[in-house]
Amino acid sequence: MIRIGDDAWQVMVDHAEAVFPNECCGAMLGSSDGETKIVTVALPLENVHAGQQATRYELRPEDLLKAEKAARARGLDLIGIFHSHPDHDAYFSETDLKNSCPWYSFVVMSVKAGRYNHAKSFLPNMEQTEAPEEALELPATNRSA
Amino acid sequence: MPKVMIPTPLRQYTDKKDSVEVAGATVGEILGTLTTTYPDLKKNLYNDEGKLRSFVNVYVNDEDIRYLSKDKTEVGAGDTVTIVPSIAGGR
Repeated sequence: MIRIGDDAWQVMVDHAEAVFPNECCGAMLGSSDGETKIVTVALPLENVHAGQQATRYELRPEDLLKAEKAARARGLDLIGIFHSHPDHDAYFSETDLKNSCPWYSFVVMSVKAGRYNHAKSFLPNMEQTEAPEEALELPATNRSA
Repeated sequence: MPKVMIPTPLRQYTDKKDSVEVAGATVGEILGTLTTTYPDLKKNLYNDEGKLRSFVNVYVNDEDIRYLSKDKTEVGAGDTVTIVPSIAGGR
């Protein structure tokens, strides 16, 4: 299970709404006790996809390296990646799967008409052939449609 | 000896070390020795055909080896080899 803390969640929602109608992306930092991952810090990162950013995102590897260093500096780990699907549901698409990495949780946020709508988390496998849904716990006060 | 930086999720396979010193003159030699020392790392980095998985990027200092000589990229004693995931997607 992955649980996202209030502050981190607010950063994620704000970022997803701010870059709408484009896809946002970022890193989730936190800790894990083996069963539950707890996200305490969200770092918005630049979508560097060279084409249509309304339907694609790409993270710069150097930014992931910086996120990893930022986590270490806070005594946290880089445990997940988030991105948004503007005006679409929060599913793990074929494109998401083929460009995923099994080392992290992937939170997908649906943003409709510029407002956060719902989110889901996925755990892609090593072969990039499937990504089962992971239980996602959001702050009780999270805004949703 | 060159130092290899291990991403957080893979430290469970390196006795929780965030970096490991590994002897070798090229990236291929270093990753070969690393995955021999820590066999559970291998399936995370290489596919069944022995090629680096598509989501694995390797840097020597600040340079991506895809733009150098790939696994034949030379590594000096004071260099740092970093494993960084490649992540993208879209609806």
